[in-house]
Amino acid sequence: MTQIELRNVNKFFGAVQVIKDVSLTVNDREFVVFLGQSGCGKTTTLRAIAGLETVDSGEILVGGVPVQDTRAEDRDIAFVFQSFALYPHLTVYENMAFPLRAVGTPKAEVDVTVRRVAGVLQISGLLKRRPSALSGGDLQRVAIGRALVRNPKAMLMDEPIGSLDAKLREEMRVELKRLHVEQGSTTIYVTHDQIEAMALADRIVVMHAGVLQQVGTPEEIYTNPVNLFVAQFVGSPVMNVCDVVVGDGVVTLAGAAEGFAMPQALTQQLQAKVTLGIRPEALEVVLEPSAGAIGAEVHLVESLGSHDIVDLRIGQALVRARTRAGLVSGPGLRVYVKADASRAHFFDEAGQSLGIRV
Amino acid sequence: MAAVRTKGEMLRHRLSIISLLVILALFLAPIFWITATAFKPRNLATTVPPTVFFQPEFSPFVKLMTKRSQLRSAPTAEVYNAAPWWEQTVFDGGEKVVRSGKGEVQLSGFPSRFLNSLIIAITSTVLAVGMGTITAYGFSRFKVAGEDDWLFFILSTRMLPPVVVAIPMFLMYRVVGLNDTHLGLIILYTAFNLSFSVWLMKGFIDEIPKEYEDAALVDGYTRMQAFFRIVLPEAATGIAATAVFCFITAWNEYAFALIMTNKRAQTAPPFIPSQVGSGLPDWTVIAAGTFLFLVPVAIFTFLLRNHLLRGMSFGAIRK
Repeated sequence: MTQIELRNVNKFFGAVQVIKDVSLTVNDREFVVFLGQSGCGKTTTLRAIAGLETVDSGEILVGGVPVQDTRAEDRDIAFVFQSFALYPHLTVYENMAFPLRAVGTPKAEVDVTVRRVAGVLQISGLLKRRPSALSGGDLQRVAIGRALVRNPKAMLMDEPIGSLDAKLREEMRVELKRLHVEQGSTTIYVTHDQIEAMALADRIVVMHAGVLQQVGTPEEIYTNPVNLFVAQFVGSPVMNVCDVVVGDGVVTLAGAAEGFAMPQALTQQLQAKVTLGIRPEALEVVLEPSAGAIGAEVHLVESLGSHDIVDLRIGQALVRARTRAGLVSGPGLRVYVKADASRAHFFDEAGQSLGIRV
Repeated sequence: MAAVRTKGEMLRHRLSIISLLVILALFLAPIFWITATAFKPRNLATTVPPTVFFQPEFSPFVKLMTKRSQLRSAPTAEVYNAAPWWEQTVFDGGEKVVRSGKGEVQLSGFPSRFLNSLIIAITSTVLAVGMGTITAYGFSRFKVAGEDDWLFFILSTRMLPPVVVAIPMFLMYRVVGLNDTHLGLIILYTAFNLSFSVWLMKGFIDEIPKEYEDAALVDGYTRMQAFFRIVLPEAATGIAATAVFCFITAWNEYAFALIMTNKRAQTAPPFIPSQVGSGLPDWTVIAAGTFLFLVPVAIFTFLLRNHLLRGMSFGAIRK
């Protein structure tokens, strides 16, 4: 299939710059997810690739050919909309046949293709229905079917499962992954849901305010966030971020009596005041005092079944830790917390990662 | 689904149904009156109190369609029996149908006026709705410089009462030779309805999600194809509603028709009252003309009723 490349793409809506100098290469057969909050420019970027938005400067290459001045209908890129955008006056069959009819595909071939794709998506029984008579999951399958029938150069998906309920979303996520593995089409997928992004992506592109923050595999993004935005956007519950005072072999949260023990080799590289980022699962809560553990007061306990999320007050800071279910009985308890130094992140004042790790 | 109602609500519900029936009766009474009069013998048309039960007859319609003259003496039995049934009803009323030297029945002015009304109303409706839909699509989907001003300007053409512009229009039409022509009235009604059509259709097209067209574009269709294959079918409801309104306006229009036409392109509205004429008016004939004039609008509205009902409530609910 196709490689998609963006070179220094800029886009303004009036005075507002929604895409800021974005450069990116999506490899052939790759599944790339644009992740970011609403209004970060991810959908606009996707629409620009499809040809539904113009760009003010920069180049968009599909299969090595610049397409920024090519009309949407000539780009041969399929698009799955968040609202599905199935034509309400046409049946499922007609909806799926619609893109094939555009290029004058013979009737027999249309029929064979539509039925084959419907089979793959398990919607063969729905072909005569109107979209209004379908459930959310089926609508989504039809929308994907319409995108798949003509074997496009690339598939673009704009939050395609965003409007489904949680359980169905999980099912469809698996199905999308399976489809991508089977079809192997170059896919760009837009979402604000970091779990979806982690589950689906070969590579994640984190966007914020029209700027690419970080591009990398889900593991890279999770374990080595380049700045505070990425660090806090990816991961649930959110990474703890606290201002700390760095001592010799110790990192103290503002207002706390004691600090987390950290290797000297690490603390020597740090300035006196930095921002510590540490994920809840990198904090270990114990009930008895032990070496390297500092005292904390339990503020809140969220029981999630498989594990608990415990809010702890250490000095002036509130941090969240992940514990096994039932470990901490309730608020007000005095507990002790250890930090895993190998999973601690340090950021400068501007929120950029210092890149200093154990 | 019927929701649970309290006694007070039940009472209010009944009261509202009763008041609806009263309003309905009030609105239907003139239509009943005209319809009844159209089937009455002439001598029962103006009785006091009104005659409610009578033997319906078709003579008013025959008289409406034909030229007639007063009978000086009753026709002979031979002539009477030789005449077709519809001509006999005219004899019964004390009149006779005028025939040419070859014995052909002479038509009155009504059939041609009625045909003119149909031609002019249908053509101007098609034009107004067609142009209005395309214009509305442009305003709805593209950034038009000064969009609000343009839309206001379009609407402002509707703000002057027809009577105010009728005289200057008449003078202009006379200069360019459009007075008393079908084309003249078609242009006039199209222009008159266009503003209405643009505004109404813009509302309907605004309601159609842009994403349908985006989807059609990425599916490989041009914008024009997307318009015809996606937007038009989706806008069918709005088009039907707009067409009904435009048709009724053009069909009922009286002032321009009266001033701009006198014979060739005259429509039914100025013609029917002209039959009141001098002397004793025959109200049954006028009622028959009015009744026939009601029929096309009723049929048109009836055919589009489903679209119309959806059209009226369209946009009231956000999806």
